[in-house]
Amino acid sequence: MSTILRQHAEQLYALELEELRKQDSGQRPPSWKLSPQSVVDYLVGKKLKNGFEVSPKYIGNKRLMEIAVATLTTDRALLLYGLPGTAKSWVSEHLSAAISGDSTMIIQGTAGTSEEAIRYGWNYARLLAEGPSEKALVETPVMRAMKDGKIARIEELTRIGADVQDTLITILSEKTLPIPELNTEVQAVKGFNVIATANNRDKGVNELSSALKRRFNTVILPVPDSIEEEIDIVRRRVESYEKAMELPAEPPALQEIRRIVTIFRELRNGVTQDGKTKIKVPGATLSTAEAISVVNNGLAMAAYFGDGTLKAADIAAGIIGAVVKDPVQDAIVWKEYLETVVKTRDDWKDIYRACRDL
Amino acid sequence: MAIHILGIRHHGPGSARNVQRFLQSVKPDIVLVEGPPEADPILKWVGHAELKPPVAILCYRQDAPQQSVFYPFAEFSPEWQAILYAQTQPIPVRFIDLPISHQFALESPAEPAQPSRQAESLESAVADNNPGRRPTVADLATAAGFDNHEKWWEHMFENRSSNEPVFDAVAEAMQALREVPQPEEDRPEKCREAYMRRSIRQAEREMFQNIAVICGAWHAPALSNMPPRKEDDELLKNLPKVKTDTTWIPWTYQRLSFASGYGAGISSPGWYDHIWHYPEDNGIRWMARVANLFRDQQMDTSVAHVMEAVRLAGALAALRGLPKAGLEELNEATLSVLCNGEDILLSLIQKKLIVSDRIGETPTEIPKPPLQMDIEKLQKKLRLPPAADWKDYTLDLRKDTDLERSIFLHRLQMIGINWGQQQTASGKGTFKEQWRLQWDPGFSIDIIEKGSYGNTLEEASNAFVIRQAEASTSLGEVTQLLENALPAELSRAIDTLILRVNNLAAASGDILQLMKALPSLAGISRYGNVRKTDAEQVLSIVDSMVTRICISLPAASTGIDEEAAANLKNLITAINESLNILQDQLLTQQWQQSISAIAHSTQSAPLIAGYCTRLLSDHQLLTGQDLVKVFYYAMSTSTAPADAAAWLEGFLTGSGSLLLVDEDLWGVVNSWMGGLEPATFTDILPLLRRSFSHLSPPERRRLGEKARTGGGSAILATSETDIDPARGRMGIPVVLQLLGLNPKISVKNG
Repeated sequence: MSTILRQHAEQLYALELEELRKQDSGQRPPSWKLSPQSVVDYLVGKKLKNGFEVSPKYIGNKRLMEIAVATLTTDRALLLYGLPGTAKSWVSEHLSAAISGDSTMIIQGTAGTSEEAIRYGWNYARLLAEGPSEKALVETPVMRAMKDGKIARIEELTRIGADVQDTLITILSEKTLPIPELNTEVQAVKGFNVIATANNRDKGVNELSSALKRRFNTVILPVPDSIEEEIDIVRRRVESYEKAMELPAEPPALQEIRRIVTIFRELRNGVTQDGKTKIKVPGATLSTAEAISVVNNGLAMAAYFGDGTLKAADIAAGIIGAVVKDPVQDAIVWKEYLETVVKTRDDWKDIYRACRDL
Repeated sequence: MAIHILGIRHHGPGSARNVQRFLQSVKPDIVLVEGPPEADPILKWVGHAELKPPVAILCYRQDAPQQSVFYPFAEFSPEWQAILYAQTQPIPVRFIDLPISHQFALESPAEPAQPSRQAESLESAVADNNPGRRPTVADLATAAGFDNHEKWWEHMFENRSSNEPVFDAVAEAMQALREVPQPEEDRPEKCREAYMRRSIRQAEREMFQNIAVICGAWHAPALSNMPPRKEDDELLKNLPKVKTDTTWIPWTYQRLSFASGYGAGISSPGWYDHIWHYPEDNGIRWMARVANLFRDQQMDTSVAHVMEAVRLAGALAALRGLPKAGLEELNEATLSVLCNGEDILLSLIQKKLIVSDRIGETPTEIPKPPLQMDIEKLQKKLRLPPAADWKDYTLDLRKDTDLERSIFLHRLQMIGINWGQQQTASGKGTFKEQWRLQWDPGFSIDIIEKGSYGNTLEEASNAFVIRQAEASTSLGEVTQLLENALPAELSRAIDTLILRVNNLAAASGDILQLMKALPSLAGISRYGNVRKTDAEQVLSIVDSMVTRICISLPAASTGIDEEAAANLKNLITAINESLNILQDQLLTQQWQQSISAIAHSTQSAPLIAGYCTRLLSDHQLLTGQDLVKVFYYAMSTSTAPADAAAWLEGFLTGSGSLLLVDEDLWGVVNSWMGGLEPATFTDILPLLRRSFSHLSPPERRRLGEKARTGGGSAILATSETDIDPARGRMGIPVVLQLLGLNPKISVKNG
């Protein structure tokens, strides 16, 4: 087993990608490692003709993935939009792994992301010694992706300042990156495209200018439709995490996952599963991703401090940590939920006691 | 001799195109179409310039028009294309379905009023999902890996370009479905197919050589495998029969869509219309229309957007292995490119483009029921064309045309055709009316049904209202009718209604009904002249009604609970206003006597009594010291606090300004309140709050300010009784000095 903490998608799923490539008979767009149809299959999972099972990466509406892949075959860039924890970055990573075989061309958007981080920077020692030259240039992931005809990923696009965002316009519409200092330019090789992610929950973000917006096709990733779908997502992700983390604990009981997902869904929707009782909604997002991390957390607790099986006591702390983000408001919401909803459920006694004791 | 059975999907543009091509290549000498043979005579209108689809053949029972069937046709309906082909050749064309007269009779006569049944088709193969039933088209679709049978059908049969084999394939597929015997005996369906076969045999006997039969895909196998003739004759023997009529009526795309609950409907008539007219469109024209629609809604949509959307739709189609982008791909591209992922605007496209608000037209010379002719004539004359989408009209009743329009719309409403919804007109003036018109093809059936009342709209609505008036025994209903009949100018009906109101009012012990009816009538008699209504007529019943009310109101105000009292109070307010409007000396006098009786009766509900006292004061019949007396009496400590508070609430209804201005009154209220025991005060505080909450905020504030400063306390002063005049006199000079007056003069005077 590798000592790397978290491997890239293309390494983790190398076998699946390889099998898909072997079975792939469709036509591939230039520089693509797989045909668009196979990319979709890689994302939503499929049993191949030779019996090989491709695991689903995105559980949800297949049509959304089709739109995303189809967008990347055109010359428009893809903007994945949605609440935090709706698998935007996850989808973006797997898309670029499947299409380019490389998910590492990534720029994390922050308020401090500068133009140099997107276009190119300078190696100042060299710049001073030799003057402007190709060698003094520091390439960014976007520039490398353009040269290699791969997919560049930009995380949290809306966090980047508006003036910096707009440097993408030339790159996206003319597929070229001018370097006026050297009187030259980098022209994108076929296969280059950009996948950006942005979330619509945060405040203080920079809305895309309409010029930039026009260069993106937007796909909104929704929160899971049904509780079964969400449980499925959590279970799969937790199992893959367990593999990666080599936790000695037993695989999590579906029962515990179901309870966590139920709690999260109820608090997120502001109503109990049976639709009868209204619940206050806490400030936290409570996405599927957080449910996954609560289960993982619980597993680690069970493995190192408990008897190896996931128990209510192991997840209680994680749940409270996820729900109570604001120590005053959220604590009231949680307490109310605990006393009015959790307490009344007969088979939830253990989790009620575990949460109350904390 | 050849018989070509063309199994189609009703309203499938692909089927329509296939049928068109097929007919052109085989050149049949007769075309037989699934449809009611009763409609054969009116088929000659197909191809007429003024018969514009979507239209429908309407079949209804002569003696019970509500039992009816519609056979809708759009331009892209295969049947329509087949009939059109036959008419232009020209070759004979016939409908071969089981006559509607039998179908109606076969339906259980116990429930003829069920909402118009609509012609079905694939439907029988699709509709039910009962387990243990025959496999359905949906099962075929699932087997082929589609999640929706519509889509499957579209890809398999509608989107093809080849010809004859399509129909063979359809027949084969349906044959496979029909091989599983159906458990329950479906007699009507068997009869229908038997009749179709009989019609085909009939055509054969008439020596037609090349017969084309257009029928729902489901029936295709039953028509190609002919059983012995005797069996069919056996089935069709002694079928019951009723009399029916048929006509063409305009139809709408909305009615064709599933959304309106039409069994054999299609989800996207607008889209089908588009691909029927532009079969080669690869999405460009469609996206251009979408962009246009968005621009109409002030959404910035550039040409580049359209290009990108078309490109994405194409890429999606390629990804899904489709030869061409369909509606789904185009919608997804629209969502992603034009709407930035937000699906709110898609509903607009759904309404305007995918379904579309198109409405058909029928020629004026088609034989129609006389009432419908009259209505159409009026629609034309008044320039109120029926439209599928709603449209607002503001009518100015001072103009002749608008007045006529208003009368027309009111009359339609009177006979139960709610084409126009009257809305509250903005602005002042009783001469304005606001209407929202939206035509529903279902009105045709109402019109035919109401045709039995008369041949013109005026006649029919008069007769209908008279009939209703005679059947009704509720005064409220009849006055409501009268109120509605006045703007509709149904003079004959109005006479009957007035007579009826009079009779019912005389017999009615329910004064509340009378009171409810009065205000609208009073309004009419006062303002009726905008519409040139005969106000005199109305005024005469108003007279008698007021008299009746005045006599029974005092008795009606006793022994009622709080809720009923509040209700009655509102009615009294309305009547009081009506009488103010009428300005009739005699009536007002009667009214004043009546409220005075209530105010002075100890039996009246306190709320009402208080309110009537207030009205008396408004009428200047009870003022000054008398009013104070009455108030004090009502507020005296022996009265239960709850009653006193209710009385006060009634008294203060509407406005507290009287309380502000009238010092005497203020003193009474103020001293009454000041003298309350703390416990009693707590008890009635909610009631007090309630009565004061009806006042406007400035009034409340001023009352509050007045209460703080103590206000005038003229009446309160009388409470001090044992004054020592000698000691008092001694203090006077000091007081006068303080006031800066000459003490000497004052002392002398003192």
